[in-house]
Parts: sequence; structure tokens; C-alpha cells
Amino acid sequence: MQTALREWVRRLWGTLRLTRTDRDLEEELRTHFELAAEDARHHGASPDDAGRAARLRVGGAAQAMEALRDQRGLPWLNDLRHDLRYALRTLKKSPGFGLVVILTLALGIGATTAIYSVVHAVLMKPLAYSRESDRLVRLIMNMPASVSPTGRPLRTTVSLSAAEIRDLESRSQALSGVGTVGPVLMGLSGYEEAAHLQGSRVSATVFSMIDARPLLGRVFDSNDEAPGADPVILISFAAWHRYFAADPNILNRTLTLDTALGPRRQSRYTVIGVMPQRFAFPSSQTQFWMPFQATVPGGGAAIRGPMLGRLAHGISMQAAVAEIGPIVREIRLDKPGITYELLREQDGIVAQVKPALLVLTVAVGFVLLIACVNVANLLLARMAARQREIAIRGALGAGRGRLIRQVLTESVVLAMIGGVAGTALAFGGITLLQMLATTLSRIDLGTGVGFPRLDEIGIDGSVLLYTAATSVVTGLAVGLLPAFRYARRDPMESLRAAAGASASPAGVVEASTLRGALVVIQIALAMILLVGGGLLMNSFIKLSGVDPGYQPAHVLTFQVALPVDRYPDARLKTFAEDLAAGLRSVPGVRAAAYANQLPMVQLRDTAGGLWKTPDRGRTPAPGGPDARLVSREYLDVMGIRVIAGRGFSERDGAGRPRVLLVNRLLAGRDFPGEDPIGQQVYIGRDPYPWQIVGIVDNVRQFGLDREPEPQFFVDVRQWSGTGPLFPIGAYYAVRADGNPVSVIPNIRAIVRRLDRQAALFNIAPMEQLVTTTIAQPRMYTMLLSIFAGIGATLAVIGIYGVMAYRVTQRTREIGIRMALGARRAQVLALVLRKGVTLTIIGIAVGLVGAAAATRFLQGMLFGITPLDARTFAAVSLLFGLVAMLASYVPARRATKVDPIVALRSE
Amino acid sequence: MPNREQAKTDVLQGTLDLMVLQTLATLGPLHGYAIASRLDQVSQGALQLNMGTLYPGLMRLEQRGHVRGQWGVTPNNRRARFYTLTAAGRKQLVSEKAEWSRMTAIMRTLLHDEG
Repeated sequence: MQTALREWVRRLWGTLRLTRTDRDLEEELRTHFELAAEDARHHGASPDDAGRAARLRVGGAAQAMEALRDQRGLPWLNDLRHDLRYALRTLKKSPGFGLVVILTLALGIGATTAIYSVVHAVLMKPLAYSRESDRLVRLIMNMPASVSPTGRPLRTTVSLSAAEIRDLESRSQALSGVGTVGPVLMGLSGYEEAAHLQGSRVSATVFSMIDARPLLGRVFDSNDEAPGADPVILISFAAWHRYFAADPNILNRTLTLDTALGPRRQSRYTVIGVMPQRFAFPSSQTQFWMPFQATVPGGGAAIRGPMLGRLAHGISMQAAVAEIGPIVREIRLDKPGITYELLREQDGIVAQVKPALLVLTVAVGFVLLIACVNVANLLLARMAARQREIAIRGALGAGRGRLIRQVLTESVVLAMIGGVAGTALAFGGITLLQMLATTLSRIDLGTGVGFPRLDEIGIDGSVLLYTAATSVVTGLAVGLLPAFRYARRDPMESLRAAAGASASPAGVVEASTLRGALVVIQIALAMILLVGGGLLMNSFIKLSGVDPGYQPAHVLTFQVALPVDRYPDARLKTFAEDLAAGLRSVPGVRAAAYANQLPMVQLRDTAGGLWKTPDRGRTPAPGGPDARLVSREYLDVMGIRVIAGRGFSERDGAGRPRVLLVNRLLAGRDFPGEDPIGQQVYIGRDPYPWQIVGIVDNVRQFGLDREPEPQFFVDVRQWSGTGPLFPIGAYYAVRADGNPVSVIPNIRAIVRRLDRQAALFNIAPMEQLVTTTIAQPRMYTMLLSIFAGIGATLAVIGIYGVMAYRVTQRTREIGIRMALGARRAQVLALVLRKGVTLTIIGIAVGLVGAAAATRFLQGMLFGITPLDARTFAAVSLLFGLVAMLASYVPARRATKVDPIVALRSE
Repeated sequence: MPNREQAKTDVLQGTLDLMVLQTLATLGPLHGYAIASRLDQVSQGALQLNMGTLYPGLMRLEQRGHVRGQWGVTPNNRRARFYTLTAAGRKQLVSEKAEWSRMTAIMRTLLHDEG
């Protein structure tokens, strides 16, 4: 083995010309020959005879040299080197052809590389924070409508209390760990940009379950969960850098945190550790972790948190859920009818983007296929032009295998260069994608807004390996057809054909049928892409054209964090009123308002429901209308239309008759056939009536793609309900004359004047909140449209190429026809017929394919069906026209043929 | 590649290697022509190696580290490349000789029984 390796290495050196030279070998052979001749002379031969005898005895030097060269190096490597050199020389001879091929392949390979890098990072790579991420599961419960509190089927993550967790852990064999992981929102006192930190409340078991190790300090243990334990906190690497300048003495420091959700409280926490950078648990937005129980008011023994479990080794999901379901039903006292399922944490994180990523993967596959077909077609045409060269090589003794290898080497070289260029394109593509996918990272806009694992996307070793493999396979794929077509020819026939004698008509017909079939495939694939892109585009236009029920332009929104100790709930209203009054005085501000929430903010507050009769004992029913606590000018600032009655006015202050507004949906639902204005209604358990004084238009509260829901509006000044007034802080909105961003400095000054410790945060134009919620459809639309554009362009180039080649080939025939009196229109029709036929077949096949494929877009479409006839028709028409234009240009050139020149051309 | 031809050369190569190694072990460093002459002489003219067989064989032995080639001068003042057996070559010779003896013994028994 060692000997064989040594020989191989030396032969490798030999190939690289690092061992004996040809001259050295020749000298040795010459010596041998001379010695043999001398011997012959000694035996009495004449000098002439001696030379002959010697040659006879020792054999030819040329053959010996050939054998020595083969032995010196590795013959296949030598061949490869020759093929490579030949390929590069051929490329240099026709740089235009090479450039077209390389660019085409670069587009195809670049697109697949970019999407592969996303798929790899988002769907395939295990989660970075745990080596066991594929065993981490969440329990999901499906409630049928009959037992659901909302009256509609509900699918939600199962939550458990600390006692229930202990119970489940001791009874389950399928789970080797159970804990809870739930979101928590906290503000870091005194840090403006840290007013809304996203964190996680976790049970102590969770960290040992996922085997998390801190960068500094320690993680939680069960002592931290004990009642009365000192409150502790772990912070993320990013938070440590951003708010504490990576202070190495951060451990044991005390942080003062304000609750940012629910009743406002302030508590002090001791930092016990910093987690490493890759610890994106449960997401990369998580900035701190605190023990579950100790941080919930009242010790939290009965409070439930979303469950996270770890499957025991060798347990399947089915087996686990069969065991856990009944246990959970028993300990949670769940109603019968509820079913349970397990969801891998890894799958859950990406569930929302997975279908779209798969669609994009198929789309880039199509793009690459179209690019391949284009290149295969180009190579075929080129091989036809190089027939003579190939025939000569064949006649000189190059074997069929050798010729095929040569052609494949050329196409693989082209594909590899294309792959390198494609990788550069992919870098750009990934940057674009990250730009498109980056949105405001705000938990109040909902967790579904951000693109999961976005920061993990990049070009790493695995992606490069994929690109290299794709390039080689692509190179082989595009080379195979031309290689086998031209290497199989009988050299004599090829030589005759190349010399200009008529090639066998069958061969010509066959070649043109082949190229025609390739064009049909291209058009069909491009059609599918275009229909898909067209559907998404139509859907996106519909989505962004939706009337949200308010006017986001010129509106700036923000929140203000106030020190909890100096601002109990009662003073918040005063501050908000003062600030709103101050804002109205800012030049450029038309109106200013505040509210408990804004459109697009994902907070649902029913305030106990709206009823026609009073009832002190009623329990708030879920699914009631959405309650809005707004300041007087809110409707004006947001541009919400009052369609009947009146809006709020200066007269509706505290102590005045209580009035409220309902939206059109609520009016229609609760007061069918009657006029709601003037009616008395009751909010929750409040025994005193409110009078409806106006109806406002519907607002798409929870997203442009979500239908409006019943809503009612109450003037904050008249509100005296219990519970936190602004559960996630008051939202302010100002309507500016021009660009809303320009009033920010003035607003900052006003806020500071009111209270030097007040912190402005979440500043964003209302339009940005809206675009953030449609960032993902926008990204998918743009990406798929780009891919469809590339695919269609390549396909059109493909038609053009084939038609142009056809015209060139038939110049002589056209010349004869014209000499015999054919009119231009006839010639045009003759050439065009082929292009039109191919286009129509391609589009027809593409339409069938699209009809089958677009249902995978179902979940990505808004206000349009996957079989939208108008999109199908428009795309067919447009693409058909462009494709026919591509065959018209060469056809027109055919009519310009001068019969004399054409006949002379051969 | 036709397999039959390949097999034939393989046998030849193995025997040639053994013959060359044995020659060098007996006579010390020799140039290629001297090796060929020696084999010619020993076989009484039955084994006439042409250059196309001998030199690739020597190169292979050199690549495997069994012999080392160096340019030197013959007693007649002619430049020639001399081949010397290396330590690895000596070891290879011992094992190949043993293998050869074993093989011939088997062959002898086999042929004798059949005859």
C-alpha cells in the first residue's frame, strides 16, 4: 500500500514535470542503443549492419519514449491537462461565445446558490444553540370549534405550570426533559433604546435540557426558582455589548427593570451570567433570560408557560405524542375532543417561511434548467460549426471516448467559470435578500413579521461545496448532448459534411427537431415562472392597494417610557394629555393623539365586551369586539372616517355624559336593521351606560391581509376601567404637514421639556409599520419576479438563437426560393412559422404546467386564486408577443437575403 | 482496454521486476544495457528485452523506491545511468523470491500430479 502510494506520488510529480526530463530519458535510450551497436561490431558486423542489428534487438526509441512518458506520469491526468489547455485555448479563440455561456450559467448557478444558502441556513442547519436541537419539541393542541373558547377551531402551544411540569416529567418516559419557555418584555431603566427588551422566562430545567453553557458566570439552577429567591437575570452577548460595553465586571451587577407589559412595576435583578453569541434561544432577538417562577407576581405556582420538551433517545414523535397526550389531558384537565401533536422546535421556528422557500427553490431550479437548455443549445450549434475540427481529430485517431471527454471538459470548464461568477452574484443576491427581509424588530408588531434565522444566512463551506458540485453537474449535463451527438459520427461522413457537401438530410432534421424540443422546454419553464411571478405580483398589488381604513401617510408614531416610581397609572393620563397638547404646538404638526394601541400592533383588548344590558357578574367572553382607548384627536390624526353621527369633541371630557363610537362592522352585527346612534350600551361589568354617538369606518387592525373586526372607540378621558390603562405603553401619533420624520427633533425637545427622564422609543412613520407587515410578501414577490424575469429573458434569447441559426443554415435555400420568385412575405412566413409553432407549443405546455404548479402558491396569495384566469391570459399574451418578436428579428433578416450572394455563399 | 493484454503484461512485469532485482543483487550496480545483456546471457538468448519494456520497468522500480538510478561512467568512459538496489528493494526481492518459490512449488506439484 505504501509502495503503491509512493509510486502514485512520484508519478504525480512526473505529470507536473518535476522528475526526469525527456532529454535525460532520451540520452539513456541512446546509450543503450550505442552499446548494443558496439556489441554487434565486436561480433564482427559492419557499422551499417551493426546499427540495423542493434535496432532489431533493442526495439524503437520512439515507442520506448512513449512507454516511458506514460510510466513517468499519470496518463489520465496528462490527458486532462491537455483537454483543459485545449478548452481554454478554444475559449480564448471565441471569447464572445464563452462570455454568453458563462454569463448564462452564472445567472442560473448564482440564483440556485443564493437560495441554497438560505435554505441551508434556515431549514437544514441544526439550531446553533444546542447540539440536540432536533430533539427539542413543543406540544401543540388542536381544539375543535365545539370546545374552543372563541367558538372557532384553535391551534395553540400547550402551556404548563411548574407543578404540572414536575408531574409530566415524572410520568413521561418519552421525554427526557420538560420545561417552559415564554416571552417577556422588560424595559431597562435609563436606557432610551432599551425601553422594550425582548426576553425569555424559562424554567431552570430548560438550560440543562438544551445543555446551554454561559460565556461568563453561571446559568439558572433550581435554587433560583425557589419562592423568595433573589431575582436573577442572564443577558445575551448582544445586550452585553450594546448596553454595558462588554463590561467584564458585569457579574453581580444589579439592573433595574420595568415591566413593559401589563401592570407597571419596577424590580431589581442581579446579573449572574452572559450567554455566548450563538445562543439564539429561542430566537436571535432574545436579549435576556429570567427564571420563570420568581419573576411572576405571587410566585407563579399556578401560572402556565409554553412547554418545551426534549425527546428521549430513540423515541419517535408518534410514540411520544401517544404517551404524552393522555398525561397532559389528565394533568391539565383538558376537555375531551382536544387532540395533541408534537412539533419540532426547529420546524416550528421556520414553519411560516418554509412553503415560500420551497417555492423559491423550485423556481431557481427552473432558472438553472432554462440556463442549461440555453447553453446546451448554444453548444449544439457550436459543435455543428466545429464538425470539421472534430472530424479531423477523429480521423487522426482520437477515440470516441477521448472526443467525448474533450467536449465535456470544455463544458465543465465553462460551467466552473460560470460557477465562480455565480458565487459573486449570489453574494449580491444574499445581500439584497437580507435587505428585503430585514424589518423593524418589534415584538409589538407580532412575531411573524421577522424572517427567522436571517443573520445565519451566508456563503460558507457547505454552500461553496454545493456550488462546486452544481457547476460540475451542470457542465456535464449541458455537454452530454453535444458530446454524444458529435462524437458518435463516422469520421468520414463528418469530414464530408464539414467540407460542405450536403449532410444527410435526416441528420439536419434530427438536429433541428432536437433544438426545437429544447426551445419548447425553455418556453414552458419560463411560462410557469412568469405565471407564478405574475400571480404574486398581482396579489401584492392587491395587498398594498387595500384600503386600510386609515391614512398612514404623513403620520409619525412613537412611544414614551416613563420612570415607573414617579408615574403611577393615574399620572400617565395627565402626562399623555400634556404631551399631546405640547405636540400640537410643534410647527409642522397638524394634529397629535395617543391611544392604547395602533393599527398593526398585535394586541387584543376587549375591555370585557360591549353589551346591551348591564350585568355586574358577567365573565368577559372571548371573541368580543376590540376596544380602543383613544385621545380626542385620534380619529383625525389616523384619518379614520366618521360615516354617521359625530366623532369625539372637546365637550366629551371627564365627567361629561359618556359616549362611544362603534365601527361599521359592529353596528351591522349588533344593531341589524336599526340605527345604533343614540343607543345605550355597557362595557364589561361596568353598570353605567355609554351612549353611541357615531359610526366610524372599518379599520384593518391586525394586518392588510386580515379582514377588519368589530371595534369600538372610547375617549381615554372618560375611561375609568380597572386594569392597566396602556398595557404596552401609550402610543403617540402625530400628523405632519410634510415628511413626518422631519418633526422628530422638535418632538424630542418637547418630551425632554416635560420630563428629563422620559425616553422616546419605537419611533417610526406609520407607513413603515404598514410596510413592515408586508415585507415578506414583498420579498417573495420580488424574488420570484426576478427569477421569472431571468428565466424569460434566457428563454427569449434561446428562441432568438435557434431562429437565427436556422436562418443562417437556410440562407442558400432562401436565396434559391427568392431567385425563383418567392415574395418577401412568403419567405417571412416560411421562417416565422417554425418560431410561432415552437412558441405556441411552449406556451401551451407551460400553461398546463403552471395550472398544476401554482397551487403551491396558495398560502402566499391575497385576494386572488392560484388559477387566476386574467394572470394566465396576460402572461401568455405578453410572453407570446415577446417570443414571437424574438423569432421575427432573424426571420426579417432572411427576407433581406440577396439571392446572388446567397447562391455564391458556398 | 482489453483485459487479456493487461493480464499478460502484469505477469511479465512481475517476473521482470524479480529478474532485475536479482541481477542487481548478484552483480551490484549496473546500467540498463548491462542488465539486458545479463538476462540475455543467462537465458541463452531466449529473453531479449527491448528498450520499451526494460526502461519503463526500471522507472517503475525506481518510482516504487526499490532501485535508485544515477548517472555514472562505464569502464570504457561512457556516460550511463547505473541502477543500485535499495534497502527496500532488497526486502522486496526476499519476499518476491519466497513468493516465487512457493508458486513454482505449487505449479510443480500440480503439473506433476496431472502428468
